[in-house]
Amino acid sequence: MPIIRVIDGINEVVGRIISVVAIFFAAIIIYDVFMRNFYGEPTRWAFDLTKQLYGFYFIMLGGYALRHQAHVRVDLVTARLGRNARRWVEAAGYVIFFFPFAWVFARRSWDFAMTSYAQGEVTYGAVQLPVYPLKIAMFVAAVLLLLQGISEFLKLVLNKADHLESMEPLDVR
Amino acid sequence: ENWTMTTTWPSSLELIEIDKHWVELVNQLVDDDKLTIEFYDGGSLVPAGEVFGAVESGTVQAGADWPGYWAGRDSAFSPLSTTASLFNAVDYVNWIQEWGGADLYNEVYGKFGMVYLPYGVTNNESGFRTVDKPVKTIEDLNGLRLRLSGLEQGKLLEKLGGNQVSMAGGEIYQSLERGVIDGAEFSTPNVDFSGGFQQVTKYWSTPGWHQSSSVFGVMINKSAWDALDEDTQNKLQIAADANLLWSLAFTEKRATEAFAQFKEAGTEINRLDDAALEQIQKMANETIEEVACENPLSAKVYASQISYLQDYASWRDASAPFNLGRTPQGPDLAKIEECAQ
Amino acid sequence: MSGETIALIMSGLLLLGLFMGHPLALVLGGTAVLGALIAGKPMVLGIVINRIFGDVLDNYVLIAIPLFVLMARFLSDSGVTDKMFEALRHLMARVTGGLGLAVVFISILLAATTGIIGASITVMGMMALRPMLQYGYDRKLATGLIAASGCLGILIPPSIMLILMSSYAPGLSVGQLFAGAMVPGMVLGFLYAVYVAIIARIKPEWAPAIAESEQISRGAMWRMLIVEAVPPLLLILGILGSLLAGIATATEASAIGTLCALAIVILRGRFEWKTFYSALLETGRTSAMILFIVVGATAFTGVFNITGGLRASQDVIRGFASDPYMLVAVMLIAVFILGMFLDWTGIVLLSFPIFLPLVNEMGVDPLWFVVLMAVVLQTSFLSPPFGYALFYMRAIAPPEVTIGDIIKGVLPFIGLIIMICAMIIIFPGMVTWLPTSLYGG
Ligand code: NA
Ligand code: NA
Repeated sequence: MPIIRVIDGINEVVGRIISVVAIFFAAIIIYDVFMRNFYGEPTRWAFDLTKQLYGFYFIMLGGYALRHQAHVRVDLVTARLGRNARRWVEAAGYVIFFFPFAWVFARRSWDFAMTSYAQGEVTYGAVQLPVYPLKIAMFVAAVLLLLQGISEFLKLVLNKADHLESMEPLDVR
Repeated sequence: ENWTMTTTWPSSLELIEIDKHWVELVNQLVDDDKLTIEFYDGGSLVPAGEVFGAVESGTVQAGADWPGYWAGRDSAFSPLSTTASLFNAVDYVNWIQEWGGADLYNEVYGKFGMVYLPYGVTNNESGFRTVDKPVKTIEDLNGLRLRLSGLEQGKLLEKLGGNQVSMAGGEIYQSLERGVIDGAEFSTPNVDFSGGFQQVTKYWSTPGWHQSSSVFGVMINKSAWDALDEDTQNKLQIAADANLLWSLAFTEKRATEAFAQFKEAGTEINRLDDAALEQIQKMANETIEEVACENPLSAKVYASQISYLQDYASWRDASAPFNLGRTPQGPDLAKIEECAQ
Repeated sequence: MSGETIALIMSGLLLLGLFMGHPLALVLGGTAVLGALIAGKPMVLGIVINRIFGDVLDNYVLIAIPLFVLMARFLSDSGVTDKMFEALRHLMARVTGGLGLAVVFISILLAATTGIIGASITVMGMMALRPMLQYGYDRKLATGLIAASGCLGILIPPSIMLILMSSYAPGLSVGQLFAGAMVPGMVLGFLYAVYVAIIARIKPEWAPAIAESEQISRGAMWRMLIVEAVPPLLLILGILGSLLAGIATATEASAIGTLCALAIVILRGRFEWKTFYSALLETGRTSAMILFIVVGATAFTGVFNITGGLRASQDVIRGFASDPYMLVAVMLIAVFILGMFLDWTGIVLLSFPIFLPLVNEMGVDPLWFVVLMAVVLQTSFLSPPFGYALFYMRAIAPPEVTIGDIIKGVLPFIGLIIMICAMIIIFPGMVTWLPTSLYGG
């Protein structure tokens, strides 16, 4: 189905680009530590900016992680079910839990971001960074997650989910 | 009516007592069938920085705060919460109750669909606590990395040669201990002592010129407020007025006790001299003029505050030495009034 | 609707979602939304967004999580561990139980550089399990030892679990928790080593000495060990040193550690753009996975609290516990049981908001309590039916090793974990001594 390919493609591209952002916030932190300890000069914008980059980074990767089945789950029961039973149980999980959450997340984030945008919200203190770009990113991230859920749900319903085959835990903690 | 109320303060900070005291007063004054307020400690419903949004959107009906936290949404919140070297606690009480201040709170919060009852005031904050370098003169501030909150405060500190570091209250202790910052201001002595700052700082520089006094209160969602009958609204106001005065006496008593505790813990306390404070006053005035002129609403609040100071000055000065506080040589009223247009 | 009812409904939904095999993060989020609707308070859905933004996105402490994950990945790319284990293997193979001791030693070193359990177990499983089985080690002992030692990573600092705990425990800094967990973590590792030594003595056939076939001089062996051990030791100094010497916060230390690990990769001539990029991608997926559980949990807890479920749960615990010891015991047992089904992320995020106010109310030292929880949570990886360490071992072990062998293998180690909990309860100084001497009372 083209819709599955399109959604998977979008989150794949987003994931491959956003994953690199970790380098930027790591670099800013190191730069700040360096400037502070060797030049006695803290970087005024470092604190707020690293925090914003980190928030942007992980929230945008939610859909990408879902696409790669990286979100931790307990498959004690489902692993013992036959392929078809398992497929429908997992699809039901999307209907009961995923869609209500992802919808509320996206819908309410939109209001949240627009309120901030309308107020021109900035961080408080002498360095005034705008806050609304991050809040808008949260809305975009919620939409990406919702889309990926639609794709995963369709894969289950149409019997195209390849994760049902091998279920070694992918978690690397 | 049933209200859910939360606050910006975690249960570990003594500031929460001001909120709890108001809730108790309301619950005593108002019949349960008219209004009951269920109060949640800070952080348990929404994080401190989100209390504003939660009340604005009506998710909770009431939220206790320190208005300065919302200066990123409108810089006019800043003078509603504190001033750099201008108001003391009595000035805030006078201004709020008889010189038109209360209306300005409602004008600024009203922009966001909220009603505001100022119900807590604390007098001068502690000042800076530094790890291993005493601040005895303005020159000592030069190059120091200091935790400080507020827009005007940060700009003023930068004028004086220091660097503002923004940081949540919970991170200050650790950052002082590990030398990430050279010093920090947080709150009044009793609140500072409950934060354990005597363990990690040797020096304390008074007075708290950056925050000569602070106001606390409750934001109420407009539609929740309108749903109350007039009698209940009045009782909430009465509780707020009573709480305002109580909070002043409560904090000053606790601050005095904590001052002794800091001395006992071996903290070296230095007071900046009057000449230094005079210089800071000049720079504070400049900062206020700058910041006020970036936002007409902020200028309006400042203009009202400075008008009060000038109006009250005649009688305040005549009644010396039995007067309440000092008449500061504040910012240029005409200039700020112009920016308020 | 009463708090008790909503607490039951929300817990029921949570269990249902988990057993349906839906991702934990999304079960938590979905339960939050359904809970608010069932309680008839759709307005409270607003706090879901407030909390996600304020608690997870706008959170300086959590920045350390992706960075420590990235550091772990760089370190395993550098190949330092493989070489070090090889040197140790040569050194200790001639001793009864020597291979087992080498596993414990390397695991402790790995734990002190990273906190990534899966990485530790996989690395040790790949390198150590096959030789151990080949030379006649008991299957249960070998798999149990590797699984249990691999879990030390979340206890011995730096640890992403302790970072998350600090973010959820007002008033406890990452530095304090790192310092508090240091001694218990080390002692637990030491206990594992002692256990292996004792087994090797009473059952030498379970942990035989190995006649080393490859000829390698003692001098060459020591040289290899020292050369290989220096980079990770520098890394430990870089991270914990900069943190404790006051140069950096935990978040900053994580960035410094990542830079050091990358430097090790480059200096060892192992740098390749392709592996570098795949390290970034994998870190992105892992970080999103961990932090989305925080997203779901913060949504869940907010709704659970405002609908009265949280207070009702606390009242139930109060009913059980009349004194502080009783309270702590009830909580630890609850965590142990939860650990059979959930991993630490869910347990910490769900239980802290319920437990910590009660702990404070009873006058229990929160630092001591949180570290005790961290120790008990070691079992959440090991206890059947659901323990990640068991799955990891099963995934790398040869087919003749059954899941039953692995489960039987970890049981003695679960016993040792319970033992050290008892020690911490009897001697609270094990936790409090180091933070007190570093940070004062
Ligand atoms: Na670790
Ligand atoms: Na388990």
